[in-house]
Amino acid sequence: MNQHVNIAVLGAGPGGYVAALKAAQLGATVAIIEKGHLGGTCLNVGCIPSKALLASAELLHHIRHAAEMGIDLPAAAVINWPKIQSRKDKVILGLRNGVKGLLNARKVSIHTGHATLDGHGKISIAAHDGSKQSITADKVILAVGSVPSRIPGWPTDTNFVCTSDEALHWQSLPAKLLIVGGGVIGCEFACMMQAFGVDVTIVEMLPRILPNVDAQVAALLHKILAARGIKIFTGVKIESLAIADSIARATLADGQVIPADRVLVATGRRPNTAEIGLNSINLAADRGFIRVNDNMESKVPGVYCIGDANGRCLLAHAASAHGIAAVENALGHNHPFRAPIPNCIYTFPEVATVGLSAEEAQTQGLPIAVGNFPLSFLGKAMAANDTEGFVKVIRHRETGALLGVHMIGHNVTECIASAGALLHQNAKVSDIAEIVFAHPTISESFKESAEDSLSMGLHLPPKKVLRAVAEV
Amino acid sequence: MATIKIPAAGKDIRSGTVIRWLKKPGDPIKKGEILAELDTESGVLHVESPIAGNLKTILLDTGKTGPVSAPLAEIADELSSAPPLPLSPAPASPPPPRSPAAAAGKVTPILMPKAGQSMEEGVLVKWHVAPGDVIKVGQAIFEIETDKATMDVEAIDSGRLARIIAPAGKTVPVQQPVAFIAESDADVDAFLASGGSPAATAATASAPGSASSATSPSATIASARATTAEGRVKASPAARKIAADRGIDIATVAAGTGPGGRILSTDLPLTAPAPAASGSSRRRMSQMRKAIARNLLQSKQTIPHFYVRLTVDAAPMVAFYQAAKAKYPCSINDVIVLASSRLVQEFPAFRSRLEGDEFVESPTANIGIAVGMDDGLVVPVLVGANRLSLQQIAAETKRLAASAKAGKIEGMGLGTFTITNLGMFGTEEFAAIINPPEAAILAVGAARESVIVKDGAMRAGKVMTMTLSSDHRIIDGMLAAKFLARMKELLESPDKLAP
Repeated sequence: MNQHVNIAVLGAGPGGYVAALKAAQLGATVAIIEKGHLGGTCLNVGCIPSKALLASAELLHHIRHAAEMGIDLPAAAVINWPKIQSRKDKVILGLRNGVKGLLNARKVSIHTGHATLDGHGKISIAAHDGSKQSITADKVILAVGSVPSRIPGWPTDTNFVCTSDEALHWQSLPAKLLIVGGGVIGCEFACMMQAFGVDVTIVEMLPRILPNVDAQVAALLHKILAARGIKIFTGVKIESLAIADSIARATLADGQVIPADRVLVATGRRPNTAEIGLNSINLAADRGFIRVNDNMESKVPGVYCIGDANGRCLLAHAASAHGIAAVENALGHNHPFRAPIPNCIYTFPEVATVGLSAEEAQTQGLPIAVGNFPLSFLGKAMAANDTEGFVKVIRHRETGALLGVHMIGHNVTECIASAGALLHQNAKVSDIAEIVFAHPTISESFKESAEDSLSMGLHLPPKKVLRAVAEV
Repeated sequence: MATIKIPAAGKDIRSGTVIRWLKKPGDPIKKGEILAELDTESGVLHVESPIAGNLKTILLDTGKTGPVSAPLAEIADELSSAPPLPLSPAPASPPPPRSPAAAAGKVTPILMPKAGQSMEEGVLVKWHVAPGDVIKVGQAIFEIETDKATMDVEAIDSGRLARIIAPAGKTVPVQQPVAFIAESDADVDAFLASGGSPAATAATASAPGSASSATSPSATIASARATTAEGRVKASPAARKIAADRGIDIATVAAGTGPGGRILSTDLPLTAPAPAASGSSRRRMSQMRKAIARNLLQSKQTIPHFYVRLTVDAAPMVAFYQAAKAKYPCSINDVIVLASSRLVQEFPAFRSRLEGDEFVESPTANIGIAVGMDDGLVVPVLVGANRLSLQQIAAETKRLAASAKAGKIEGMGLGTFTITNLGMFGTEEFAAIINPPEAAILAVGAARESVIVKDGAMRAGKVMTMTLSSDHRIIDGMLAAKFLARMKELLESPDKLAP
């Protein structure tokens, strides 16, 4: 007998499992189908494992600077890579069980296998043991996620050429690592691997690393990473990659050859929508992405798409937020999704941004004022011996509205939430200046920067008032 | 009027948002005073005024944003704090050599022209140029209104208009400065601070069609000439010796280029100024003078002129003019053009011309208007004046006059009747020569105070005398007399002219 549910969710990543929980919370009957592990990319091959590894790397980084903090170590720190990996795996396992427990607690029916749409409201599930099952649903939420892009024509031997999927589970560290792509994943891996003693080279085709991040923030991170010995090539393409004698050799457009014993391709991700039977409901993908409106509904009524697969924002928390909006809309609550989505990069120092960058605001022709507060002026940053970085606040000069916040520095991923909250509440920058921030914290720099954008900061030298003769 | 704009105060500044205005419309503004605070990409920007004057209009309100170079405000140029200039007519003999006003340190005042014997003051109606503009000789720089007429005033010196001290609307006595030509504003300040040199008046403007060039002394002053406390001219010993050798009075040397205006040998002219010519001079006749000579000689020799003269009570006409003027710009002459256009329509002979043995009658009143120029006069024609209102006539006449001065004479050869008016110079009456091939010309004198005798009683009033010159081949005496009588009737009851 076929199972019928109110909501069927394809994919149990941070979008899908949260959507399932929300739907169940709202009283719907829910089925969730996952072909891999619960938790999707984020939990298994994304955010969580990378953060677990980065935590070990960052600790190592701090240990190396322990003497500066008055801690003399009897011997140099030794990396136990298998243990680092197993700790990470334990974190993953714990979280997977947590997701499973949450889904069970809400009586979401969990199906393991590959799901395909088989007409409107009909889903076929091919289990890994070969058995088939069909379920029907009033509404369908596609939360199928994305997979890392590979470069066509390059060697496919994953002992040499990997994506983040493999790299997060490497059983050994490479000696020389070539990272292709200077985006978020490339920078996080570079930072992590350099700390573990790997000789890292980044090659980015675009003119700068972190092309989607505030230019000033990206420039500082570039400087910091380069100072640690990471070689960074920007504005140059890799013409070819060949493996010979267990060495991968990348030839750059300028003729330079970079040898490496492993290559990490971190050039982006592509939506996982090819084999889910979109044809059966006449839903066309746009470059693989299933485009949706603010209600997360696709062109086919009753079919929603959330997370990476809709191409709006390839971040776990965006997927979760989409999932909640999709469920609410599917169940008749009107919830158009327009919230600002913060973006965090877990290099050390960390990067966290939300809202418009100065460049984006200017491209839109908005009149802006920019505040900037360097962490080197901040007590908490000095106390933590981590003073590199700054916080930038973008203010609309006419409306006074907060437009964007861009942070780089110690623990800033924990500070961006307040900025995101204020942005979501359409706060004015002058409101932020009135809020009391705890001292000493890194978060204070946000308030200071907001005040600087108003030329009223107290913990900066007085901003020079410009004077100029009007043109005639 | 100057429009001030958001300054480019740095490479990161693309735009400014007004935080607040420190001045409000009507406020006097000093140069360098902060007008407004702007919020920019690089922080707060205080915007200084580039000029002195009065804040007229704010063009970017508080809270509004404009890109660099966007208009912020309009400032009416006025130096209310400028001390009045001590002025006396310059001794015109011998005139110092005229040198370009643009030379460093020189300040050349532009004076209110004396456009007529009776003119004592003029209202500066409008500036055509703004401070900072480079003006050329012959360029119309402002418009004045006298008790007789409104006219454009042309520059007779070229250079950079540094400062306007008589804003639009101000009444200025004749031969008093309205503006200064100078290379830099500092020169003007220095000139004003020095109180000007007593002999330093220069008429740098002329009212075309007036006798201004003859009546206003013209001189370029050199303010930079340095004198010691005792009044001794500062000059180098070498300059004194060379000046003595060349027979030059060192006190007449315009400007010194040495420190503090000290006269150096290189500042001296090569020869002493030539003594004033004792005999007559000779110059070629201009093309315009040749044309005047040819046409008017032909007219006077071939057209049997006769003259009818009549004096009207000018008070109703003046009242009519003043009432109209309150509503739109116009002159007394425009009222006479209006009356003439209606009468010409009424009397077909006055819109006729003789061509061989035939009369050619124009269907419309095409009125010629004599426009005086520096070296002669031209007569543009207002075609179809009978269809125009007073306001239209005033506007059109002004345009025709401006166009004529710019060298384009409109309607030439289409006229049948011309009006020539020397009233603005106080001329009581005169008889004009017909502008061929027209039928008649009306010479208008000044509206002047006089005793009017009516019904055996005397009273003080205003009269105006008009003399009609007619071509007897077209117009007979009785017709001319009737025409003038109707003219008197219209001008003394001008309400009949109202549409």
